[in-house]
Amino acid sequence: MLLDLVQNTVDGLAVGAAYGLLALGFTLIFGVMRRLNIAFGPSIMIGIFAGAWLHAEWSVGMVPVFLAVLAGAVITAAYVERISFAAIRGDAALASMASSFAIWMQLEEAVARVFPGRTYGFPTFDGMPMIEIGPVLLRPEYLVMLVTAAALVAALQWGLAHTRFGLELRTLADRPEAARVSGVNVARVAFLTFLLAAAIGGIAGFLIAAADGQITPKIGLWATIKGLIAMVIGGLGSLRGALIGGLVLGVVEANAQWFLGAAGREMTTYALLFLALVLLPAGLAGRTEAGARAEAERRL
Amino acid sequence: MDSYTISVLSNIGLFSFLAISAWILLIAGEISFGQQAYFALGAYGAGIATAVWQWPFALGLGFGIVLGAGIGALVAWPAMRLTGVHFAIATLAFAEFLRSGLNIFRYRREVGGYLTGPDGANGFRDIRWAYEAGVEPLGYLILIGGCLLSVIALVACLARGRGMALLRIVGEDPILAAMQGISVARVRIGAAALAGGVAGFGGGLYAHMATYVEPAQFGVMPGVHALAYGLIGGLGTVFGPILGVLVDIGALESLRVFSGYRMIVFGGLVALVLIVRPRGLLDEAALRRGLAWLRR
Repeated sequence: MLLDLVQNTVDGLAVGAAYGLLALGFTLIFGVMRRLNIAFGPSIMIGIFAGAWLHAEWSVGMVPVFLAVLAGAVITAAYVERISFAAIRGDAALASMASSFAIWMQLEEAVARVFPGRTYGFPTFDGMPMIEIGPVLLRPEYLVMLVTAAALVAALQWGLAHTRFGLELRTLADRPEAARVSGVNVARVAFLTFLLAAAIGGIAGFLIAAADGQITPKIGLWATIKGLIAMVIGGLGSLRGALIGGLVLGVVEANAQWFLGAAGREMTTYALLFLALVLLPAGLAGRTEAGARAEAERRL
Repeated sequence: MDSYTISVLSNIGLFSFLAISAWILLIAGEISFGQQAYFALGAYGAGIATAVWQWPFALGLGFGIVLGAGIGALVAWPAMRLTGVHFAIATLAFAEFLRSGLNIFRYRREVGGYLTGPDGANGFRDIRWAYEAGVEPLGYLILIGGCLLSVIALVACLARGRGMALLRIVGEDPILAAMQGISVARVRIGAAALAGGVAGFGGGLYAHMATYVEPAQFGVMPGVHALAYGLIGGLGTVFGPILGVLVDIGALESLRVFSGYRMIVFGGLVALVLIVRPRGLLDEAALRRGLAWLRR
Protein backbone atom coordinates (compact mmCIF):
# COMPACT_ATOMS: atom_id res chain seq x y z
CA MET A 1 0.00 0.00 0.00
CA LEU A 2 2.68 2.45 1.03
CA LEU A 3 4.97 1.14 -1.69
CA ASP A 4 2.17 1.62 -4.23
CA LEU A 5 1.77 5.17 -3.02
CA VAL A 6 5.49 5.87 -3.46
CA GLN A 7 5.59 4.19 -6.88
CA ASN A 8 2.53 6.09 -8.08
CA THR A 9 3.95 9.34 -6.78
CA VAL A 10 7.20 8.79 -8.67
CA ASP A 11 5.30 8.02 -11.90
CA GLY A 12 2.97 10.92 -11.25
CA LEU A 13 5.86 13.32 -10.74
CA ALA A 14 7.30 12.36 -14.12
CA VAL A 15 4.02 12.79 -16.00
CA GLY A 16 3.41 15.90 -13.90
CA ALA A 17 6.71 17.34 -15.08
CA ALA A 18 5.39 17.15 -18.65
CA TYR A 19 2.12 18.79 -17.54
CA GLY A 20 4.24 21.45 -15.89
CA LEU A 21 6.02 22.19 -19.17
CA LEU A 22 2.66 22.55 -20.94
CA ALA A 23 1.53 24.89 -18.17
CA LEU A 24 4.76 26.83 -18.54
CA GLY A 25 3.94 27.52 -22.17
CA PHE A 26 0.45 28.72 -21.24
CA THR A 27 1.82 30.88 -18.43
CA LEU A 28 4.32 32.61 -20.71
CA ILE A 29 1.67 33.44 -23.30
CA PHE A 30 -0.94 34.42 -20.73
CA GLY A 31 1.53 36.49 -18.71
CA VAL A 32 2.65 38.53 -21.70
CA MET A 33 -0.59 38.81 -23.66
CA ARG A 34 -3.27 38.30 -20.99
CA ARG A 35 -5.10 36.28 -23.58
CA LEU A 36 -5.79 32.58 -23.74
CA ASN A 37 -4.34 30.63 -26.66
CA ILE A 38 -6.48 27.51 -26.71
CA ALA A 39 -4.77 26.44 -29.95
CA PHE A 40 -1.62 25.82 -27.90
CA GLY A 41 -2.22 22.06 -27.61
CA PRO A 42 -3.16 21.66 -31.29
CA SER A 43 0.03 23.42 -32.42
CA ILE A 44 1.98 20.89 -30.36
CA MET A 45 -0.09 18.17 -32.04
CA ILE A 46 1.05 19.41 -35.47
CA GLY A 47 4.67 19.17 -34.29
CA ILE A 48 4.21 15.63 -32.98
CA PHE A 49 2.57 14.48 -36.20
CA ALA A 50 5.37 16.07 -38.22
CA GLY A 51 7.85 14.05 -36.14
CA ALA A 52 5.85 10.84 -36.50
CA TRP A 53 5.59 11.34 -40.25
CA LEU A 54 9.35 11.89 -40.58
CA HIS A 55 10.01 8.75 -38.58
CA ALA A 56 7.54 6.63 -40.56
CA GLU A 57 8.77 7.88 -43.92
CA TRP A 58 12.55 7.76 -43.47
CA SER A 59 12.89 5.93 -40.13
CA VAL A 60 15.22 8.61 -38.86
CA GLY A 61 16.63 8.66 -35.33
CA MET A 62 15.35 10.49 -32.27
CA VAL A 63 17.25 13.74 -32.88
CA PRO A 64 15.73 14.58 -36.29
CA VAL A 65 12.30 13.56 -34.96
CA PHE A 66 12.76 15.89 -32.01
CA LEU A 67 13.81 18.75 -34.30
CA ALA A 68 10.78 18.09 -36.53
CA VAL A 69 8.44 18.23 -33.53
CA LEU A 70 10.00 21.47 -32.40
CA ALA A 71 9.87 23.02 -35.87
CA GLY A 72 6.27 21.92 -36.45
CA ALA A 73 5.09 23.34 -33.12
CA VAL A 74 6.96 26.63 -33.53
CA ILE A 75 5.88 27.24 -37.14
CA THR A 76 2.25 26.48 -36.30
CA ALA A 77 2.44 28.77 -33.28
CA ALA A 78 3.79 31.56 -35.46
CA TYR A 79 0.76 31.11 -37.73
CA VAL A 80 -1.61 31.20 -34.73
CA GLU A 81 0.07 34.29 -33.34
CA ARG A 82 -0.14 36.22 -36.61
CA ILE A 83 -3.81 35.44 -37.26
CA SER A 84 -5.36 35.18 -33.80
CA PHE A 85 -3.26 37.54 -31.71
CA ALA A 86 -1.20 40.07 -33.67
CA ALA A 87 -4.04 40.83 -36.08
CA ILE A 88 -6.68 41.33 -33.37
CA ARG A 89 -6.48 44.50 -31.35
CA GLY A 90 -5.21 44.28 -27.81
CA ASP A 91 -8.41 44.89 -25.86
CA ALA A 92 -10.36 42.10 -27.56
CA ALA A 93 -9.14 39.17 -25.46
CA LEU A 94 -12.26 37.11 -26.12
CA ALA A 95 -11.95 37.52 -29.88
CA SER A 96 -8.43 36.10 -29.71
CA MET A 97 -9.69 33.12 -27.77
CA ALA A 98 -12.51 32.46 -30.26
CA SER A 99 -10.12 32.95 -33.15
CA SER A 100 -7.57 30.52 -31.72
CA PHE A 101 -10.47 28.07 -31.39
CA ALA A 102 -11.25 28.48 -35.09
CA ILE A 103 -7.60 27.86 -35.94
CA TRP A 104 -7.72 24.80 -33.69
CA MET A 105 -10.55 23.40 -35.83
CA GLN A 106 -8.44 24.09 -38.91
CA LEU A 107 -5.41 22.32 -37.50
CA GLU A 108 -7.44 19.30 -36.44
CA GLU A 109 -8.97 18.89 -39.87
CA ALA A 110 -5.58 19.38 -41.50
CA VAL A 111 -4.16 16.52 -39.42
CA ALA A 112 -7.22 14.38 -40.12
CA ARG A 113 -6.69 14.95 -43.86
CA VAL A 114 -3.05 13.95 -43.85
CA PHE A 115 -3.33 11.18 -41.24
CA PRO A 116 -6.73 9.56 -41.73
CA GLY A 117 -6.20 6.76 -39.20
CA ARG A 118 -6.81 6.95 -35.49
CA THR A 119 -3.47 6.17 -33.90
CA TYR A 120 0.06 6.43 -35.20
CA GLY A 121 3.29 5.04 -33.85
CA PHE A 122 5.90 7.33 -32.40
CA PRO A 123 9.55 6.36 -31.83
CA THR A 124 10.45 5.52 -28.25
CA PHE A 125 13.72 5.66 -26.35
CA ASP A 126 14.80 2.05 -26.84
CA GLY A 127 17.48 0.18 -25.02
CA MET A 128 17.51 2.20 -21.84
CA PRO A 129 17.39 0.02 -18.73
CA MET A 130 14.75 0.35 -16.02
CA ILE A 131 16.12 2.26 -13.07
CA GLU A 132 15.68 0.63 -9.66
CA ILE A 133 15.83 2.74 -6.54
CA GLY A 134 15.30 0.17 -3.80
CA PRO A 135 11.89 -1.35 -4.48
CA VAL A 136 10.74 1.61 -6.59
CA LEU A 137 11.03 1.37 -10.37
CA LEU A 138 11.58 4.42 -12.53
CA ARG A 139 11.02 4.21 -16.29
CA PRO A 140 13.97 5.78 -18.13
CA GLU A 141 11.58 7.95 -20.19
CA TYR A 142 10.25 9.35 -16.95
CA LEU A 143 13.73 10.19 -15.75
CA VAL A 144 14.34 12.06 -19.02
CA MET A 145 11.06 13.96 -18.48
CA LEU A 146 11.95 14.96 -14.93
CA VAL A 147 15.47 16.06 -15.80
CA THR A 148 14.37 17.96 -18.91
CA ALA A 149 11.61 19.79 -17.06
CA ALA A 150 13.93 20.78 -14.22
CA ALA A 151 16.65 21.92 -16.63
CA LEU A 152 14.18 23.89 -18.77
CA VAL A 153 12.67 25.70 -15.79
CA ALA A 154 16.12 26.52 -14.44
CA ALA A 155 17.28 27.79 -17.83
CA LEU A 156 14.10 29.82 -18.23
CA GLN A 157 14.41 31.38 -14.77
CA TRP A 158 18.00 32.29 -15.52
CA GLY A 159 17.18 33.68 -18.94
CA LEU A 160 14.33 35.79 -17.62
CA ALA A 161 16.57 37.23 -14.91
CA HIS A 162 19.76 37.78 -16.89
CA THR A 163 19.05 38.52 -20.54
CA ARG A 164 17.74 41.63 -22.23
CA PHE A 165 14.86 39.68 -23.76
CA GLY A 166 14.00 38.30 -20.31
CA LEU A 167 13.89 41.79 -18.89
CA GLU A 168 11.65 42.99 -21.70
CA LEU A 169 9.37 40.00 -21.25
CA ARG A 170 9.02 40.62 -17.52
CA THR A 171 8.35 44.32 -18.05
CA LEU A 172 5.65 43.49 -20.56
CA ALA A 173 4.11 40.95 -18.18
CA ASP A 174 4.22 43.20 -15.09
CA ARG A 175 3.47 46.64 -16.52
CA PRO A 176 2.49 46.71 -20.20
CA GLU A 177 2.20 50.52 -20.31
CA ALA A 178 5.62 50.95 -18.73
CA ALA A 179 7.09 48.56 -21.29
CA ARG A 180 5.56 50.58 -24.12
CA VAL A 181 6.81 53.97 -22.91
CA SER A 182 10.32 52.68 -22.23
CA GLY A 183 10.73 51.62 -25.84
CA VAL A 184 10.17 47.87 -25.65
CA ASN A 185 9.10 46.55 -29.04
CA VAL A 186 5.92 45.01 -27.67
CA ALA A 187 4.87 43.20 -30.85
CA ARG A 188 8.30 41.61 -31.24
CA VAL A 189 8.57 40.48 -27.61
CA ALA A 190 5.04 39.05 -27.73
CA PHE A 191 5.81 37.16 -30.95
CA LEU A 192 9.07 35.73 -29.58
CA THR A 193 7.37 34.75 -26.31
CA PHE A 194 4.78 32.89 -28.32
CA LEU A 195 7.49 30.97 -30.17
CA LEU A 196 9.35 30.27 -26.93
CA ALA A 197 6.16 28.88 -25.38
CA ALA A 198 5.58 26.71 -28.44
CA ALA A 199 9.13 25.37 -28.26
CA ILE A 200 8.64 24.42 -24.59
CA GLY A 201 5.30 22.84 -25.46
CA GLY A 202 6.95 20.99 -28.34
CA ILE A 203 9.56 19.54 -25.99
CA ALA A 204 6.81 18.44 -23.61
CA GLY A 205 4.83 16.94 -26.48
CA PHE A 206 7.86 15.07 -27.80
CA LEU A 207 8.60 13.57 -24.37
CA ILE A 208 4.98 12.53 -23.83
CA ALA A 209 4.69 10.98 -27.29
CA ALA A 210 8.01 9.16 -26.91
CA ALA A 211 6.93 7.76 -23.54
CA ASP A 212 3.57 6.55 -24.92
CA GLY A 213 4.92 5.24 -28.22
CA GLN A 214 1.70 6.22 -30.04
CA ILE A 215 -0.22 9.38 -30.84
CA THR A 216 -3.77 10.38 -31.80
CA PRO A 217 -5.13 13.76 -32.92
CA LYS A 218 -6.83 13.93 -29.50
CA ILE A 219 -3.49 14.93 -28.02
CA GLY A 220 -4.24 18.53 -29.05
CA LEU A 221 -7.31 18.82 -26.80
CA TRP A 222 -5.54 16.82 -24.11
CA ALA A 223 -2.49 19.10 -24.04
CA THR A 224 -4.61 22.27 -23.93
CA ILE A 225 -6.76 20.99 -21.06
CA LYS A 226 -3.93 19.56 -18.95
CA GLY A 227 -1.77 22.65 -19.48
CA LEU A 228 -4.60 25.02 -18.57
CA ILE A 229 -5.49 23.05 -15.45
CA ALA A 230 -1.88 22.84 -14.27
CA MET A 231 -1.42 26.56 -14.86
CA VAL A 232 -4.50 27.46 -12.86
CA ILE A 233 -3.63 25.08 -9.99
CA GLY A 234 -0.17 26.59 -9.76
CA GLY A 235 -1.33 30.17 -9.97
CA LEU A 236 -1.38 32.44 -12.99
CA GLY A 237 1.76 34.18 -14.02
CA SER A 238 4.26 32.24 -11.95
CA LEU A 239 6.74 29.93 -13.70
CA ARG A 240 7.51 27.96 -10.56
CA GLY A 241 3.78 27.75 -9.90
CA ALA A 242 3.17 26.27 -13.34
CA LEU A 243 5.67 23.50 -12.67
CA ILE A 244 4.32 22.84 -9.16
CA GLY A 245 0.78 22.80 -10.54
CA GLY A 246 1.80 20.23 -13.13
CA LEU A 247 3.52 18.03 -10.54
CA VAL A 248 0.53 18.18 -8.18
CA LEU A 249 -1.85 17.30 -11.02
CA GLY A 250 0.37 14.39 -12.08
CA VAL A 251 0.72 12.94 -8.59
CA VAL A 252 -3.01 13.25 -7.81
CA GLU A 253 -3.95 11.64 -11.12
CA ALA A 254 -1.51 8.75 -10.78
CA ASN A 255 -2.64 7.88 -7.27
CA ALA A 256 -6.34 8.30 -8.02
CA GLN A 257 -5.94 6.09 -11.09
CA TRP A 258 -4.31 3.35 -8.99
CA PHE A 259 -6.59 3.42 -6.00
CA LEU A 260 -9.91 4.42 -7.61
CA GLY A 261 -9.73 3.34 -11.25
CA ALA A 262 -10.18 5.42 -14.40
CA ALA A 263 -13.64 6.83 -13.62
CA GLY A 264 -12.59 7.52 -10.05
CA ARG A 265 -9.46 9.29 -11.25
CA GLU A 266 -11.44 11.67 -13.42
CA MET A 267 -13.99 12.44 -10.71
CA THR A 268 -11.41 12.98 -7.98
CA THR A 269 -9.14 15.10 -10.15
CA TYR A 270 -11.91 17.39 -11.29
CA ALA A 271 -13.55 17.62 -7.86
CA LEU A 272 -10.19 18.57 -6.33
CA LEU A 273 -9.60 21.05 -9.12
CA PHE A 274 -12.94 22.72 -8.48
CA LEU A 275 -12.27 22.87 -4.74
CA ALA A 276 -8.73 24.18 -5.26
CA LEU A 277 -10.07 26.97 -7.46
CA VAL A 278 -12.73 27.97 -4.99
CA LEU A 279 -10.53 27.77 -1.90
CA LEU A 280 -7.24 28.97 -3.38
CA PRO A 281 -8.13 31.24 -6.28
CA ALA A 282 -4.58 32.60 -6.42
CA GLY A 283 -3.17 29.11 -6.95
CA LEU A 284 -0.57 27.22 -4.98
CA ALA A 285 2.33 29.54 -5.77
CA GLY A 286 0.36 32.50 -7.02
CA ARG A 287 -0.06 35.81 -5.34
CA THR A 288 -3.11 37.97 -5.22
CA GLU A 289 -2.86 41.36 -6.87
CA ALA A 290 -2.75 43.07 -3.46
CA GLY A 291 0.02 40.75 -2.31
CA ALA A 292 2.09 41.49 -5.40
CA ARG A 293 1.70 45.24 -4.85
CA ALA A 294 2.69 44.92 -1.20
CA GLU A 295 5.80 43.04 -2.19
CA ALA A 296 6.73 45.63 -4.80
CA GLU A 297 6.34 48.40 -2.22
CA ARG A 298 8.48 46.53 0.28
CA ARG A 299 11.24 46.26 -2.31
CA LEU A 300 11.09 49.98 -3.00
CA MET B 1 -38.87 19.23 -46.33
CA ASP B 2 -36.70 16.16 -46.65
CA SER B 3 -35.48 14.40 -43.56
CA TYR B 4 -31.93 15.67 -44.03
CA THR B 5 -32.96 19.34 -43.89
CA ILE B 6 -35.15 18.62 -40.88
CA SER B 7 -32.30 17.02 -38.98
CA VAL B 8 -29.90 19.87 -39.82
CA LEU B 9 -32.47 22.47 -38.71
CA SER B 10 -33.23 20.51 -35.52
CA ASN B 11 -29.52 20.43 -34.70
CA ILE B 12 -29.25 24.17 -35.29
CA GLY B 13 -32.19 24.72 -32.94
CA LEU B 14 -30.82 22.48 -30.20
CA PHE B 15 -27.30 23.89 -30.38
CA SER B 16 -28.82 27.38 -30.12
CA PHE B 17 -29.95 26.58 -26.57
CA LEU B 18 -26.38 25.73 -25.59
CA ALA B 19 -25.02 28.79 -27.38
CA ILE B 20 -27.55 31.13 -25.73
CA SER B 21 -26.65 29.58 -22.38
CA ALA B 22 -22.94 30.37 -22.85
CA TRP B 23 -23.86 33.80 -24.23
CA ILE B 24 -25.85 34.74 -21.10
CA LEU B 25 -22.75 34.14 -18.99
CA LEU B 26 -20.57 36.04 -21.46
CA ILE B 27 -22.89 39.04 -21.07
CA ALA B 28 -22.51 38.72 -17.28
CA GLY B 29 -18.74 38.82 -17.79
CA GLU B 30 -17.93 35.15 -17.26
CA ILE B 31 -16.38 32.70 -19.70
CA SER B 32 -17.83 29.22 -19.28
CA PHE B 33 -16.30 26.11 -20.83
CA GLY B 34 -18.86 23.98 -19.05
CA GLN B 35 -22.42 24.72 -20.24
CA GLN B 36 -22.55 21.22 -21.75
CA ALA B 37 -22.89 19.97 -18.16
CA TYR B 38 -26.32 21.57 -17.79
CA PHE B 39 -27.28 20.35 -21.25
CA ALA B 40 -26.37 16.86 -20.02
CA LEU B 41 -28.30 17.37 -16.78
CA GLY B 42 -31.36 18.44 -18.76
CA ALA B 43 -31.02 15.48 -21.11
CA TYR B 44 -30.63 12.92 -18.32
CA GLY B 45 -33.16 14.59 -16.01
CA ALA B 46 -35.91 14.93 -18.60
CA GLY B 47 -35.10 11.49 -20.02
CA ILE B 48 -35.37 9.79 -16.63
CA ALA B 49 -38.56 11.67 -15.88
CA THR B 50 -40.40 10.56 -19.02
CA ALA B 51 -38.82 7.15 -19.66
CA VAL B 52 -38.34 5.78 -16.13
CA TRP B 53 -40.86 7.66 -14.03
CA GLN B 54 -43.37 7.88 -16.92
CA TRP B 55 -44.05 11.56 -16.32
CA PRO B 56 -45.81 13.57 -19.02
CA PHE B 57 -43.43 15.13 -21.54
CA ALA B 58 -43.93 18.77 -20.50
CA LEU B 59 -43.34 17.92 -16.86
CA GLY B 60 -40.20 16.00 -17.79
CA LEU B 61 -38.85 18.94 -19.76
CA GLY B 62 -39.65 21.19 -16.81
CA PHE B 63 -37.72 18.86 -14.53
CA GLY B 64 -34.73 19.12 -16.88
CA ILE B 65 -34.92 22.92 -16.79
CA VAL B 66 -35.21 23.03 -13.00
CA LEU B 67 -32.31 20.61 -12.66
CA GLY B 68 -30.11 22.70 -14.99
CA ALA B 69 -31.03 25.96 -13.30
CA GLY B 70 -30.73 24.62 -9.76
CA ILE B 71 -27.36 22.92 -10.23
CA GLY B 72 -26.22 25.95 -12.24
CA ALA B 73 -26.95 28.23 -9.30
CA LEU B 74 -25.43 25.74 -6.85
CA VAL B 75 -22.16 25.61 -8.81
CA ALA B 76 -22.09 29.36 -9.33
CA TRP B 77 -22.50 30.05 -5.62
CA PRO B 78 -18.96 29.03 -4.63
CA ALA B 79 -17.49 29.90 -8.05
CA MET B 80 -18.91 33.41 -8.37
CA ARG B 81 -15.85 35.10 -6.88
CA LEU B 82 -13.77 33.67 -9.69
CA THR B 83 -13.38 35.55 -12.95
CA GLY B 84 -11.69 35.07 -16.30
CA VAL B 85 -9.61 31.94 -16.73
CA HIS B 86 -10.30 30.78 -13.18
CA PHE B 87 -14.04 30.72 -13.73
CA ALA B 88 -13.54 29.09 -17.12
CA ILE B 89 -11.49 26.27 -15.60
CA ALA B 90 -13.87 25.89 -12.66
CA THR B 91 -16.79 25.39 -15.06
CA LEU B 92 -14.69 22.98 -17.10
CA ALA B 93 -13.83 21.08 -13.92
CA PHE B 94 -17.48 20.78 -12.96
CA ALA B 95 -18.51 19.68 -16.44
CA GLU B 96 -15.84 16.98 -16.59
CA PHE B 97 -16.66 15.92 -13.02
CA LEU B 98 -20.28 15.50 -14.00
CA ARG B 99 -19.40 13.65 -17.21
CA SER B 100 -17.16 11.18 -15.41
CA GLY B 101 -19.89 10.84 -12.78
CA LEU B 102 -22.44 9.97 -15.48
CA ASN B 103 -20.00 7.30 -16.67
CA ILE B 104 -20.65 5.38 -13.46
CA PHE B 105 -24.25 6.53 -12.90
CA ARG B 106 -26.62 3.55 -13.15
CA TYR B 107 -30.32 3.92 -12.52
CA ARG B 108 -32.20 1.18 -14.34
CA ARG B 109 -35.76 0.32 -13.49
CA GLU B 110 -38.20 -2.08 -15.04
CA VAL B 111 -40.78 -0.25 -17.14
CA GLY B 112 -43.29 -2.32 -19.08
CA GLY B 113 -41.11 -5.43 -18.94
CA TYR B 114 -37.96 -3.66 -20.10
CA LEU B 115 -35.04 -2.33 -18.11
CA THR B 116 -34.85 1.40 -18.80
CA GLY B 117 -32.58 4.11 -17.51
CA PRO B 118 -29.01 5.38 -17.59
CA ASP B 119 -26.44 2.57 -17.67
CA GLY B 120 -23.14 4.29 -16.97
CA ALA B 121 -20.81 4.59 -19.93
CA ASN B 122 -23.17 2.46 -22.04
CA GLY B 123 -25.51 5.41 -22.16
CA PHE B 124 -29.24 5.82 -21.73
CA ARG B 125 -31.40 4.15 -24.37
CA ASP B 126 -35.06 4.28 -25.29
CA ILE B 127 -36.17 7.77 -24.37
CA ARG B 128 -39.15 7.07 -26.53
CA TRP B 129 -41.73 9.74 -25.78
CA ALA B 130 -41.70 11.24 -29.30
CA TYR B 131 -42.06 7.76 -30.83
CA GLU B 132 -44.85 6.68 -28.50
CA ALA B 133 -46.74 9.95 -28.88
CA GLY B 134 -46.41 9.64 -32.66
CA VAL B 135 -44.56 12.92 -33.15
CA GLU B 136 -42.97 13.08 -36.60
CA PRO B 137 -39.50 14.68 -37.06
CA LEU B 138 -41.12 17.74 -38.64
CA GLY B 139 -43.48 18.12 -35.69
CA TYR B 140 -40.56 17.82 -33.32
CA LEU B 141 -38.65 20.46 -35.29
CA ILE B 142 -41.62 22.82 -34.87
CA LEU B 143 -41.64 21.99 -31.16
CA ILE B 144 -37.92 22.84 -30.90
CA GLY B 145 -38.53 26.08 -32.78
CA GLY B 146 -41.39 27.01 -30.46
CA CYS B 147 -39.32 26.33 -27.36
CA LEU B 148 -36.44 28.37 -28.79
CA LEU B 149 -38.84 31.24 -29.47
CA SER B 150 -40.00 31.10 -25.87
CA VAL B 151 -36.38 31.45 -24.70
CA ILE B 152 -35.84 34.36 -27.09
CA ALA B 153 -39.04 35.95 -25.77
CA LEU B 154 -37.81 35.50 -22.20
CA VAL B 155 -34.52 37.21 -23.04
CA ALA B 156 -36.43 39.98 -24.82
CA CYS B 157 -38.53 40.49 -21.67
CA LEU B 158 -35.31 40.71 -19.64
CA ALA B 159 -33.96 43.24 -22.13
CA ARG B 160 -37.10 45.40 -21.86
CA GLY B 161 -36.98 45.30 -18.10
CA ARG B 162 -33.95 45.76 -15.88
CA GLY B 163 -32.57 42.23 -16.15
CA MET B 164 -30.33 42.56 -19.19
CA ALA B 165 -29.00 45.95 -18.08
CA LEU B 166 -28.08 44.38 -14.71
CA LEU B 167 -26.26 41.54 -16.46
CA ARG B 168 -24.39 43.93 -18.71
CA ILE B 169 -23.29 46.34 -16.00
CA VAL B 170 -22.08 43.45 -13.83
CA GLY B 171 -20.29 42.03 -16.84
CA GLU B 172 -18.67 45.27 -17.95
CA ASP B 173 -17.66 46.68 -14.58
CA PRO B 174 -18.51 44.76 -11.39
CA ILE B 175 -17.04 47.44 -9.12
CA LEU B 176 -19.19 50.14 -10.68
CA ALA B 177 -22.17 47.82 -10.41
CA ALA B 178 -21.50 47.24 -6.70
CA MET B 179 -21.23 51.00 -6.17
CA GLN B 180 -24.68 51.40 -7.70
CA GLY B 181 -25.98 49.13 -4.96
CA ILE B 182 -26.31 46.10 -7.21
CA SER B 183 -25.57 42.77 -5.54
CA VAL B 184 -23.00 41.46 -8.01
CA ALA B 185 -23.03 38.01 -6.43
CA ARG B 186 -26.80 37.70 -6.72
CA VAL B 187 -26.81 38.82 -10.35
CA ARG B 188 -24.03 36.35 -11.21
CA ILE B 189 -25.84 33.46 -9.52
CA GLY B 190 -29.05 34.51 -11.25
CA ALA B 191 -27.27 34.56 -14.60
CA ALA B 192 -25.81 31.11 -13.94
CA ALA B 193 -29.25 29.76 -13.02
CA LEU B 194 -30.78 31.26 -16.16
CA ALA B 195 -27.95 29.90 -18.31
CA GLY B 196 -28.23 26.48 -16.66
CA GLY B 197 -32.00 26.44 -17.19
CA VAL B 198 -31.70 27.33 -20.88
CA ALA B 199 -29.07 24.63 -21.39
CA GLY B 200 -31.22 22.13 -19.48
CA PHE B 201 -34.20 23.01 -21.69
CA GLY B 202 -32.15 22.25 -24.80
CA GLY B 203 -30.79 19.08 -23.23
CA GLY B 204 -34.27 17.75 -22.48
CA LEU B 205 -35.39 18.40 -26.05
CA TYR B 206 -32.21 16.79 -27.37
CA ALA B 207 -32.68 13.61 -25.34
CA HIS B 208 -36.19 13.12 -26.68
CA MET B 209 -35.15 13.73 -30.27
CA ALA B 210 -32.11 11.44 -30.15
CA THR B 211 -33.83 8.81 -27.90
CA TYR B 212 -30.30 7.86 -26.84
CA VAL B 213 -27.74 9.85 -24.84
CA GLU B 214 -24.35 8.87 -23.48
CA PRO B 215 -21.81 10.70 -21.32
CA ALA B 216 -19.25 10.91 -24.15
CA GLN B 217 -21.57 13.28 -26.03
CA PHE B 218 -21.15 15.93 -23.35
CA GLY B 219 -17.38 16.38 -23.53
CA VAL B 220 -15.45 19.63 -23.66
CA MET B 221 -15.87 20.14 -27.41
CA PRO B 222 -19.58 21.06 -27.49
CA GLY B 223 -18.98 23.48 -24.61
CA VAL B 224 -16.14 25.25 -26.38
CA HIS B 225 -18.21 25.34 -29.57
CA ALA B 226 -21.13 26.90 -27.70
CA LEU B 227 -18.87 29.60 -26.31
CA ALA B 228 -17.38 30.30 -29.73
CA TYR B 229 -20.85 30.69 -31.28
CA GLY B 230 -21.63 33.76 -29.20
CA LEU B 231 -18.23 35.26 -29.91
CA ILE B 232 -18.54 34.66 -33.66
CA GLY B 233 -22.20 35.67 -33.98
CA GLY B 234 -21.87 38.72 -31.78
CA LEU B 235 -22.51 39.69 -28.19
CA GLY B 236 -25.00 42.47 -28.95
CA THR B 237 -28.25 40.50 -28.95
CA VAL B 238 -29.59 37.03 -28.30
CA PHE B 239 -29.57 36.54 -32.07
CA GLY B 240 -25.76 36.62 -32.01
CA PRO B 241 -25.28 33.10 -30.66
CA ILE B 242 -28.07 31.78 -32.91
CA LEU B 243 -26.38 33.40 -35.89
CA GLY B 244 -23.14 31.74 -34.77
CA VAL B 245 -24.82 28.32 -34.78
CA LEU B 246 -26.43 29.04 -38.16
CA VAL B 247 -23.12 30.12 -39.63
CA ASP B 248 -21.30 27.11 -38.22
CA ILE B 249 -23.70 24.25 -38.91
CA GLY B 250 -25.33 25.94 -41.92
CA ALA B 251 -22.10 27.00 -43.59
CA LEU B 252 -20.47 23.68 -42.81
CA GLU B 253 -23.33 21.83 -44.45
CA SER B 254 -23.31 24.11 -47.49
CA LEU B 255 -19.52 23.93 -47.75
CA ARG B 256 -19.89 20.27 -48.59
CA VAL B 257 -18.25 21.01 -51.94
CA PHE B 258 -15.02 21.42 -49.99
CA SER B 259 -15.65 17.94 -48.53
CA GLY B 260 -12.61 17.15 -46.37
CA TYR B 261 -11.44 20.77 -46.23
CA ARG B 262 -14.59 22.25 -44.71
CA MET B 263 -13.11 23.04 -41.33
CA ILE B 264 -9.98 24.47 -42.92
CA VAL B 265 -12.06 26.89 -45.00
CA PHE B 266 -14.51 27.62 -42.20
CA GLY B 267 -11.87 28.10 -39.49
CA GLY B 268 -10.03 30.54 -41.72
CA LEU B 269 -13.25 32.45 -42.43
CA VAL B 270 -14.05 32.76 -38.73
CA ALA B 271 -10.53 33.94 -37.95
CA LEU B 272 -10.79 36.61 -40.67
CA VAL B 273 -14.21 37.78 -39.44
CA LEU B 274 -12.86 38.14 -35.92
CA ILE B 275 -9.98 40.32 -37.16
CA VAL B 276 -12.45 42.75 -38.73
CA ARG B 277 -15.17 42.46 -36.06
CA PRO B 278 -13.63 41.44 -32.73
CA ARG B 279 -17.00 41.48 -30.95
CA GLY B 280 -18.64 39.21 -33.49
CA LEU B 281 -20.85 39.73 -36.53
CA LEU B 282 -23.85 41.21 -34.71
CA ASP B 283 -22.02 43.39 -32.18
CA GLU B 284 -23.39 46.32 -30.21
CA ALA B 285 -22.35 48.86 -32.86
CA ALA B 286 -24.15 46.92 -35.59
CA LEU B 287 -27.21 46.72 -33.34
CA ARG B 288 -27.19 50.47 -32.73
CA ARG B 289 -26.85 51.20 -36.43
CA GLY B 290 -29.66 48.79 -37.19
CA LEU B 291 -31.96 50.37 -34.61
CA ALA B 292 -31.15 53.87 -35.88
CA TRP B 293 -31.99 52.75 -39.41
CA LEU B 294 -35.30 51.31 -38.21
CA ARG B 295 -36.25 54.54 -36.43
CA ARG B 296 -35.54 56.68 -39.46
